[in-house]
This record gives sequence, C-alpha cells and structure tokens, in this order.
Amino acid sequence: MTAYLAHFLVMVAIYSILALSLNLLIGYSGIFSLAHAAIYGIGAYASALAALNLGMGFWGGMVVAASVGALASALVAIPSLRVAGDYYVVASFGLQVVVLAVFMNWTDLTKGHAGLPGIPRPQLFGFVIDQPFEYVFLAAGFAVATWAICWRLTNSAFGRVLQAIRDDEIAAQAMGKNVVLVKIVIACISSALGATAGSLYAHYITYINPSSFSLHESIFIATLVILGGSERLSGPIVGAFLLLAIPELLKFMAIPDTIAAPMRQIIYGGLLVVFMLVRPEGILGRARHGR
Amino acid sequence: MDLFLQLAATGLVVGSLYVLCAIGWGLIYGTTLHFHVAHGAVFTLAAYYAYAAQKLLGLPLAIAVLVAICAAAISGMLIDLLIYQPLERRGAIRTTLFIASLGLLTLIENVLAIIFTPDPLRMDVGSLGDSVQLGPVFLTRLHLVSVATALLGLLALMAFLKYSRWGQAIRAVSSSPEMARTVGIDLRRVHLLTYAVGSAITAPAGILIAMDVGVEPYRGTTFVLLASVAVIMGGIGSIPGAALGALFLALLENLGVWKIPSEWQSTIAFGVFLIFIVVRPRGFFGRKIQSAEI
Amino acid sequence: MAAEPAILSVQGVARSFGGIQAVDNCTFDVQSGLITGLIGPNGAGKTTVFNLITGFLSADQGSIRLKGKEILGLAPHRVERLGVVRTFQHLRLWNKMSVIENVLLGCATTAGENVFSLFLRAGAVRAEEQRALDRAMEVLRFFGLVDRAHELAEDLAYPEQKLLSMARIFATDAPVMLLDEPTSGLDSESIDRIVPMVRRLVDHGKTVLLIEHNIELISELSDQVVFLHQGQVLAAGAPAEIMRDPALTEIYFGV
Repeated sequence: MTAYLAHFLVMVAIYSILALSLNLLIGYSGIFSLAHAAIYGIGAYASALAALNLGMGFWGGMVVAASVGALASALVAIPSLRVAGDYYVVASFGLQVVVLAVFMNWTDLTKGHAGLPGIPRPQLFGFVIDQPFEYVFLAAGFAVATWAICWRLTNSAFGRVLQAIRDDEIAAQAMGKNVVLVKIVIACISSALGATAGSLYAHYITYINPSSFSLHESIFIATLVILGGSERLSGPIVGAFLLLAIPELLKFMAIPDTIAAPMRQIIYGGLLVVFMLVRPEGILGRARHGR
Repeated sequence: MDLFLQLAATGLVVGSLYVLCAIGWGLIYGTTLHFHVAHGAVFTLAAYYAYAAQKLLGLPLAIAVLVAICAAAISGMLIDLLIYQPLERRGAIRTTLFIASLGLLTLIENVLAIIFTPDPLRMDVGSLGDSVQLGPVFLTRLHLVSVATALLGLLALMAFLKYSRWGQAIRAVSSSPEMARTVGIDLRRVHLLTYAVGSAITAPAGILIAMDVGVEPYRGTTFVLLASVAVIMGGIGSIPGAALGALFLALLENLGVWKIPSEWQSTIAFGVFLIFIVVRPRGFFGRKIQSAEI
Repeated sequence: MAAEPAILSVQGVARSFGGIQAVDNCTFDVQSGLITGLIGPNGAGKTTVFNLITGFLSADQGSIRLKGKEILGLAPHRVERLGVVRTFQHLRLWNKMSVIENVLLGCATTAGENVFSLFLRAGAVRAEEQRALDRAMEVLRFFGLVDRAHELAEDLAYPEQKLLSMARIFATDAPVMLLDEPTSGLDSESIDRIVPMVRRLVDHGKTVLLIEHNIELISELSDQVVFLHQGQVLAAGAPAEIMRDPALTEIYFGV
C-alpha cells in the first residue's frame, strides 16, 4: 500500500512539473500548445538514449533532455510565433505528430513500439535511488525547483512583460517589448522544463515506449492546467492531484479496460467543456471582472 | 511511371476528402474566427449517423446519406448555439473557445468509441465498391464518386457564397464583422448559418470514408488539423485556396510515398507546413491572420 | 522655419489599402521641443500616419527619419527603443494590471526582462526593480495618479485612464511622444486637466506630435500645425496662419 501511494505521489510530482511548465504558455502567455506530451517524450527518450547508448548519468541525461526539448520547441516556435497565435496551435500539433512518428518509426534509434527497456535508476552521490518512496523525494524536489523557477519568471519584470503581451500585444510592442522574442524564449523554457519531467519519468519507470507521449497525453496535461486554474502557480499542481486520482478511482470500480480508457477521456473532455462554460478561471482561480 | 500515376490517383481521391473537410473548416474559421477543432467530431459524427441510418434503421443508402448530412449540419449548429455563443456572450477570449472545442472533440470521439467500439465499421455500398480501371490506374466507383462530390461541393459552395443572399451575408461577415454589423446583419444568425453550411459540406467526407474503409472514432482529429494546415496554406478566407491547399497536401503525402517510406506519410504535411509559414505566411492567396486590429 | 534640423522628418510617404490611397506623398517635419498638431477631417489619414511612424504599418514608399536615421521598415519595438512612443485612440491600457504596473512596463527593466540575468544576477535585478518602482511613482506623481497606483487600470475613470496612457509612455524616456486624440471623449473640466499636462511634457524636454479635433485646443496648444487632407499635407505652419485660411476651414468643417 505504501508502494502504491509512493507511486501515485511520484506521478503527481512528474505531472505537476508538466502542468507547471505548460502553464507558462497557456496561463501566462496565452499561447496554446498541443505538443507538451511530445516534449515530455523528447525528454524521456533523450535521457534514456544518453544513458543507454552513451553511458551518461542521470544529471547529464537531464541536461541533454532539457536542451533537446528546448531546441525542438525553438524549431517550431521561431517560424510560427513570428506570425500569430493560431499558427502555433497548428505547428505544435505538427510537432506532436512528427515527434511521435520519430519515436515509432526511427526503429534503429528508438526501437519503435517495442520501446527502450533497462534505463538505469538515478544515482545521487553514489547512492542509487531505486525505492519508490526515495523517488518521491527526488521527484518532489524537482517539482519544487520547477515551481521556484516558474515563480521567479512570473513574479518579475519578465513576468510583467509576459502578462502585458498576453493581454495586449499591440500595446506591448508600442512600449518597446520584443513580443516575438519573449514568446520564443518562454516556449523554449516551458519545453526545457517539460523535458526534465520526461527524464524523471524514464529513470523512474526504467522502460519507455511511444504510447505514453500521444496527443491524448498532451490534451490531458492541458486539462490539468485548466482544471486547477491557470491564473495561479499552484493551480496546475492541484489539477495534477485531482486528475491523477480519477483513473485510480476508476480502477476500484469494476469497469472493463475497453470502456475505462475512453471513459477517462470523456471525463477529461467533459471537464474542459464544463469548466470553460462555467468556471474558466479553474478551481483555484479568482473570478475576474467582466468574465 | 505506373506507380506514379496510381499514387497520383490515390492522392486525388484522398485529396477530395481533404478538400471537403478543409473548405468546411475554412468557411467557419474565415467567418467566425473560431478555431473549431470540434469540426473533427462533426466529421466523425456524420459518418456514424450514416452508418446508423443504414445499418440500424435500415434506410436505403441515398436516404441514409441525406439524413446524415442534415444531422451533421444540425450538430454543427448546436455546437455553436450551446457552446460558442454562450462563451462569446460572456466575452471569453479565443483560447477559452479553443479549449472548449478541444474538450468537445475529445468528449464526442470517446462517446462514439464506447457506443460503437473503436473498430472500423463499414457501410454497405453495393455496386459502388466495384473496381474501375483507367489505363494503368485502379480505383473503385466510390473513389470516382468522392472526386465528383468534392468538385460539386466546392462549386456549389462558391456559387452559394457568390449568388445567394445568405451567402453574401456570410461573405460580408467574413471580410469585416464590424462593417456587417453596421449594415444590420445579425452576426449570431450568420454564424449559425455558417456552421450549418460548413458542417454539411464536410459531412460527405466522413460518410465517404465510412463507405470506403469504414468509420473509426478517432480519425477526425487528424482530418481537422490537416484542414487547418490546408486553410493556412491556401490563405485564410479563400475557399479555392483552402481546396488547393488540401489537394496539395494529399498529393504530397501520396506521391511522397514514392520516395519516402510510407510510415512517414503523416509527417510530410506538417514538415511542409513549417517550411511554408516561413516562406509565405499569407498562404497562396488570402489574408494573414491578424492577431489584433489597431 | 527653425534653423536646427527636424527631430522627426516624414518625406514622401505613401500607403494604400486595397484601392484606397490612405496616405499619399505625405511630407512634414516635427521640430524638437515643440508641440506639433496633426489636424484634418475624418478619414484624412492621421492615425495611419501614426501607424506608419511607429512601425505598425509598412509604407509603399517614402522615408521617415528620426534624428537623421531611417526608421521606416523597423518593427514597432525598435522604433520605440530609438525614441518614438505613442498612445492609442482606444488607449489599449493593460486593464487587468494595476496602474503602477502599467507605468512600470514603460520603465527601464532590461536586467529583469532578461531570463539569464533574472536567475544569475539577482542583486542587480532587485536594484533595478527598485529604481523602476521609484521612477514609476515619480511619473505617477507628475500625472497626479499616485493615489491610484495600486488600483486596476480598468477601475480608473476615463480621464484618468487617458492620463495613464500618457504616463506609461512618458516613463519610457523616449524623446518623441505621439498622442492620438488626448482629449477626445472628455468634458471641459478634464480637458483643462490634460492640456497643461501636454505643455509640461515639453518643459520636460519632450517633443510632441498630436492628433486633435478640437480646433480651439489646437490653436492654444500647438506651436505648429500640419493640415492633412485625403492623405496629403495641404498646409503646414503656425496655427494662426492655418486657421485664417478660408479654404482650409472649409475643408475642415465640410461646408
């Protein structure tokens, strides 16, 4: 039972990192990305491959993961954010499709559907972290660090500019803010952070395959952000807790797998619609004037 | 060379489905500026409507198709009426609308997966399934019907927009909502009409797939995003542009198989899209998306 | 004409939308340290000229020089950094942000806006933020908005919002300020509050180019006037001269 709880908490921490980093885009910049699961996957594959093929350790792999994640995001952000918001939605979906195809089809590197087994557990100061409850501390530590980074970014002059761009791009330009550059920078930071979650996941589960990084997963991460509330930093974490608990609860009901999977999606999709209609500021958000 | 022709023909057939999806989505996007991803759900619903009308209600094929198109148009209107219009009345930002649309897409797809199972379900098409040989190219009669439907759909839509009073109202709103409002056009009614027309024009694409390879719950997502790529490439607000973009994507995907392994097919379109927005963000012809008006 | 070269010089600028020639061979100078009024009937192309100067629109031809340096074709944020700021007819305040945040966005916070120094030079960022806060308070005092510093911009009364839209660009230290109808929609009492403020901008070393409909105000406020009609400059000179010209008044009042 403790192992079960530990596993749940590790996953909450990993998804908190994903949701916090995606919220930098959705909540603080008003940019919607459909590629966060792909970025998560890039992080997982990059650090897994670095460990398996290059013998790199946990920390080195994480740096590789963050760099590759940021780079992939820049590749899409630079052309599409130059133009306008809607292009980015399409481009990020494109990134999601292309990255998933790479995971599945570049079999020499990624082993396709079979996935990559045998990813080593992380080592800290010569101490191997292989117990679930030990991993809780590691993952929670990363979640706190991510939270701190997001806090610094959003509670600063940079955060002020982000909000200004989100609320009125034209005014921000007229006040000398390089809107395109700021958007590209935040997209890269969001992806670098999202990729570290992938790295944590790969070294935790020790086996990855493409199915964990699909478009459904992207939508799921967005749901965490929106449900918890994108106006506050703590919103996504609350979202991660609640939404990860739902499938656990479904497990206790005797629902066959073929129904349970789409049932989860129905719940996520339904929550998105209902929250947009009834409470767009999320569970934790303050209701704002004029909304 | 024979292979090339066969691939081009397949591209044309797939392209005709993309065209129907892209002009429907493009009409809605160009007029309402809603990034209506739930259009993918309407596309899939149309296919299940047709399947259910034929298999469960036992209606003849032609009637089943007509019923499905009408039902799809009503579904599109309901989405606008029940989801988008309340959001707009509250002054919701565009991201909010998009998220609701995405949620709806997920919701509908998975409800369909539970009702009909995730497996493909094929309609009975009788002699339409017979194959036809055109020189070195093999197709089915149904494939020819697809191409003809797309061509007719495109022409009918353009004629509708150009000559009918309703179509002119849609065009007026599409070119300038403020201007349209000042001359007394009711935006909400025009939006509803646009959803009806846009959904009806896309419905045959879903139904044709149900007749050909069978309907599955999750295909709409890919289709609607390909449609958005086609619309951006063709130029926002241009119906022929959207059709051209869709055809271009389909030919590229299918001819690409000639040189590129087929498992990379789905990535070709998006690779091209990224190159395209760098080189020509306005599309072939049409206006660039303005993030805001000064 | 003044002996010193113009700080802002618009030369032969043209721009059309579809078939409509919004601005056509437009040429005029703005002298440093003066208030220049841009007037003309509705649709004369005044706001289009603002959009062209500030980089929000590209021109079909012509040249716009700031202190001799070409600025036409630059992105809006680069134009601002070179020293031209503007207000908007519809204000475009950040309504959900506080008054002081609106002004802070005009203050120099280069270290705090740079992600690297944000994490690596925390001390410098903190010092800079403090300087920016001091500067923002000083600007708010100048515009008489100190009491409102922590309210949301949308909660201000309209005249105060107008002042805020000027305050936030004043905070940027850019020497050239373009004001798009600073008094439109205001009652006479509020106008009396705004007008001396515009004068005081010049006392603080600013150069002002403003669009204004109120002819009386223009005569009272401007040192020189540029009369725009159908995208062309019909006349430029001292306000009194322009007002005396019956042909111009006829166009203006559409008699």
